[in-house]
Amino acid sequence: MTTLTVSNLDVSYGPRPALRDVSVVVPSGSVVAVLGPSGCGKTTLLMALAGLVTVESGDITSGSRVLSSATEHVAPERRGIGWVPQDSSLFPHLSVRDNIGFALPRGQSQRARIEQLAELVGLADFLDRMPASLSGGQAQRVALARALAVKPEVVLLDEPFAALDTVLRHSLAREVVSLLRESDTTTVLVTHDREEALDLADIVVVMDRGRVAQVGSPREIYEAPLTAWVASFVGDTVELEGLWQDTALECRACGAKEFCEGEPDRYGCSGHVECALGNIAASAQGFEPGQGQAVRVVLRPEWIVPSPDGVPSTVKAVSYAGHDALVELSLQTSQAAVRARMAAPFLPAVGSPFGVAVRHPALVFPAPNADRWAESNVERVSQ
Amino acid sequence: MSMSTTPLVGATASTRPGNSSPRVIWVLAITAVFLVLSPMIYLGVRVTEVTAEELSVILLQSRAGEFALNTLLLGVTVAATTLFAGVAIAVGIDRSRMRRRKVPLVIASLPLAIPSYLAAYGWLVINPQLNGYLPSYLLLSAVTVPYVVLPVAARLRGLGGSHEMVARTLGRTPVKAFGEAVWPQIRSSAFAGALLVFLYTISDFGLVAMMRFHTLTWGVNAAYSASFNRSQAAVLALLVVLLAVIAVVGERSLRGQHARGSANAPRPPRLSQAAATVTTVMFLLPIGGGVLLPFVGLGVRLGQAETLRAIDWPRLLEATGWTVLVAILSAITATAIALPIAAVASRVRTRASRLIESLGYLSHALPGIVVGLSLVFLSLRVVPALYQTLAVLVFGYTVLFASKALGTSRAALDGVPVTLSMVARTLGETPFGVWRRITLPLALPSIAVGALLVMVSTMKELPATLILRPTGVNTLATELWSRTVALEYGAAAPYAAILVVVAALPAMFLGAVRSDRGEAR
Repeated sequence: MTTLTVSNLDVSYGPRPALRDVSVVVPSGSVVAVLGPSGCGKTTLLMALAGLVTVESGDITSGSRVLSSATEHVAPERRGIGWVPQDSSLFPHLSVRDNIGFALPRGQSQRARIEQLAELVGLADFLDRMPASLSGGQAQRVALARALAVKPEVVLLDEPFAALDTVLRHSLAREVVSLLRESDTTTVLVTHDREEALDLADIVVVMDRGRVAQVGSPREIYEAPLTAWVASFVGDTVELEGLWQDTALECRACGAKEFCEGEPDRYGCSGHVECALGNIAASAQGFEPGQGQAVRVVLRPEWIVPSPDGVPSTVKAVSYAGHDALVELSLQTSQAAVRARMAAPFLPAVGSPFGVAVRHPALVFPAPNADRWAESNVERVSQ
Repeated sequence: MSMSTTPLVGATASTRPGNSSPRVIWVLAITAVFLVLSPMIYLGVRVTEVTAEELSVILLQSRAGEFALNTLLLGVTVAATTLFAGVAIAVGIDRSRMRRRKVPLVIASLPLAIPSYLAAYGWLVINPQLNGYLPSYLLLSAVTVPYVVLPVAARLRGLGGSHEMVARTLGRTPVKAFGEAVWPQIRSSAFAGALLVFLYTISDFGLVAMMRFHTLTWGVNAAYSASFNRSQAAVLALLVVLLAVIAVVGERSLRGQHARGSANAPRPPRLSQAAATVTTVMFLLPIGGGVLLPFVGLGVRLGQAETLRAIDWPRLLEATGWTVLVAILSAITATAIALPIAAVASRVRTRASRLIESLGYLSHALPGIVVGLSLVFLSLRVVPALYQTLAVLVFGYTVLFASKALGTSRAALDGVPVTLSMVARTLGETPFGVWRRITLPLALPSIAVGALLVMVSTMKELPATLILRPTGVNTLATELWSRTVALEYGAAAPYAAILVVVAALPAMFLGAVRSDRGEAR
């Protein structure tokens, strides 16, 4: 079994940098999702792993074997790393059978293995079809079977489900990943779909403009993002201005035992923040604010809950999404706007009064300057 | 951690894997380009050997000036006429009331299938008195107008009518709206087409020779075959090339920017009844004058009892055999020459690859007679043993038509997505294996189409064939020509008829292949 290690990787297309100082560890047998907006370099990272681009500096190793570095480059056909590209890229002139068997030596065992793989991806009846006659989902299954044929230790999936419709996408993604887990195949999945990444992966790598913005478990990424950019990229946010309070009374961190019941490490709380929602427990992300410093307060809508004794507000609008709804609220004292996520059957009427409380420590980031996204992000990555 | 943002000049440039063509391909591509350009290079060398004294005699005391003026007059008037008529015809087709615009387009392209000298022959059968500038001008305009019609019609179809409609709502008359909203967008296609017409006209030999209009190509042939003054032939040939280069450079500067049309744009407004009538007449004139009437002349002459009785069957068969043989040989060599250039152009996007590709296309602008003459000089100087052999003849065709194979091969290779090669690599295939198992099988049908195009062009080629053919080798084109200039119109008829048939067969096959593929999708 092998652990893929990417260290300080730089890749450029001509003068245009595509990856800068990227470091990621992919433990053997794990599922790692690379998440980022389009153009962030996630596909380039995948192609570097597959040996489809050469690297400028840094290296990629598999166990103790160097796959890519400034001086070495193991050809893609010698890496034993499978690749399922975005558009499935089936060979159009070959039948499903010949596509799956492309990498297998001809013979009796090839036939048996092809049938076994077709069975595995649920396409046993399609072996003699040509790629043009397959649906998008079927084509992706064939592409996966083709990549799995020679039992690679690592499989790279490049947004393999992006072109499919929503329902099919989620079920196929789950199916494919569980299939890869069963065979103990190390999997790197590139996606721009945050739900897909949080749902399927053991480790999520968030990328932005060629750099790694954060690496962590899905929970860490969602609940303890290192930058305001990551926070808003991986999920919905409510943002407020606030003042940092270094209060430390009974509890070492916040003194109020609001959520952690005396275990501040549970949420990494490090203090309080005074904002439109009151004085609430908070954790400063990646910096140490001073007492009374103006900061940026970030909450998730589902952390804001109805509470009759809470901060009084008025319902401004309800955006209904079937399974749940986002309720837009205007706080009565400060006129600040916040959004709360609520289960759908119990929605308040627009204009009605509404008391709210916070049930999770707020995330605190440095107060935004001129360009808030760029500022917080660059600061974080370059430290 | 350092995060320098300095430009990466000088650093190890990373490349996409599709870019890393094996070195062999580069060597082959450079060799191919050198071979294609060798006649031109040698012509340049040969001309430098002409002494200043000789040069002044050729330019001032021979008829070189007259030839050059005639060529320029013919080229400019034919190009201007086809530019105007071609745009009108294309607009007429685009805005006709017909539902299927494909049919008139196919009919409009018919003159392309017929060699110009065949049209001239058909007219001479009808009226042997024809000669000089006017018939040459009219007939060349008729046979070359599709070069403007086809690209402009394609462009118009892509445009749709929305720009023009917006211009109308902004207060423009129909004519002004067309001039301000449509013309700027079809201009570059129209000029590119007119450039092809100009190049075709100044390169043409058969038609002007039969019509006894003395252009540079006629002069080259006369100087080469009648006198032993090879220097004069070389200088005249270089003058033709010079005119071609000036035209190519000039057209570049006239080219405009154009935006892409959208697929679901509304259909353009229809033409008024009067305008539709005018464009229909313009559509029919070149078809009638360039195709139908010559065919009638040929058919009538062929059907006469004395013509049929006099057919020399063995000779006819032999000429057909030679025609098909050289066509197949040059299709193979032209494709072989074009493939490595296309591979480099398609898989590598660097300045060097672009240069190689455009050099590969350069031969497209070379007149057949110039290539023929240069190859005579070259073979005599470098490998005299090859002079007047089939090898030099086939090489001549290869130089002339490699650009046709290059275009289709390039498109064929572009049609194979790079990701397919990448997937194949990750599945354990070597770069060569990827070519063998993925790229070639997928590209082969289009490459074969290119080979077929070369075949058709080779069968119709006249001036280079006249100069380069070995003694005793007669093709359909040369037989038709020699009989026509000897005024033996009846004896020429069977050769003309067979030429039409053998050239039409591959064209029909091409059409069948294309409609087949359309059905499969």
